Amino acid sequence: MTVGSALLEAPAPEGALSWNPRPVYSVESPVMTTEKPDNRALFEEQAMPFIDQLYGAALRMTRNPADAQDLVQETFVKAFSAFDSFQQGTNLKAWLYRILTNTFINSYRKKQREPFQGTIDELEDWQMGGATSRTATASRSAEAEAIDHLPDSTVKDALQSIPEDFRLAVYFADVEGFSYQEIAEIMKTPVGTVMSRLHRGRRMLRELLGEYAQERGIGSVPANGSAS
Amino acid sequence: MTDCEKARSELEEYLHNELCAEDVADIRDHMAHCDDCESEHHVGVVMMEAVQRACKETAPEDLRAQVLAKLRAIQSTH
Repeated sequence: MTVGSALLEAPAPEGALSWNPRPVYSVESPVMTTEKPDNRALFEEQAMPFIDQLYGAALRMTRNPADAQDLVQETFVKAFSAFDSFQQGTNLKAWLYRILTNTFINSYRKKQREPFQGTIDELEDWQMGGATSRTATASRSAEAEAIDHLPDSTVKDALQSIPEDFRLAVYFADVEGFSYQEIAEIMKTPVGTVMSRLHRGRRMLRELLGEYAQERGIGSVPANGSAS
Repeated sequence: MTDCEKARSELEEYLHNELCAEDVADIRDHMAHCDDCESEHHVGVVMMEAVQRACKETAPEDLRAQVLAKLRAIQSTH
């Protein structure tokens, strides 16, 4: 046993400042100030690459850049604080999205007026498998063509205008490629609810896109569900 | 349930890779000779791609810098 380690293991003499087993460095050397100096480096390395995606999701949630930036910042702060509880090897992206979604629901949703909130899943289901399946093949390929030519801003507008729970389900599945099970965990709902939100959300989106295409004279597509 | 009805009811899950291999094979077989269902699926694919394209965002550089600064600040207070 070296003198050094013997000193370290010795109990602090009475009356002395209590001995802190963690290295304490001054603010001037912030790199070494915690128990696990690599924690932040690891977090940055693993989590920062998701910042673009998280910002995209935050934009779809808050619908404005200022709130989206605040939301992303808060999400990273929370995620970093809880990083010790993240199990390495599990899905970090889904974990971050869970924090993002929670944070949004708890701090931002309250600020926003969502007329459909609360009754969203009880909304009447309109014409399940109705109008769309009766559309002829030819008009369907015109529809695809029209959707394909819509400007990004129009697609975003359409997405922004569908109710939040549906919008997020569509975003998580179609843009982020999360599985239904992952979306269920992120949104804290049963998988069946995810499927129904997704189905209705995509149907609404499709109708809106059809309407936009018609207004802009892109293709000659009858808006889906116009039969309703 | 006809083949078309079965296919239609599973198209969305097919699009999102949620079907088991057996159902995937069934739906592919069906679409190979059903233009109607194939075109319906095509609309779904095109819409998904349009949404992906439209939603591609890049976080502002400021935000990135602010987040990094926040993380450093948190760590130095621990």
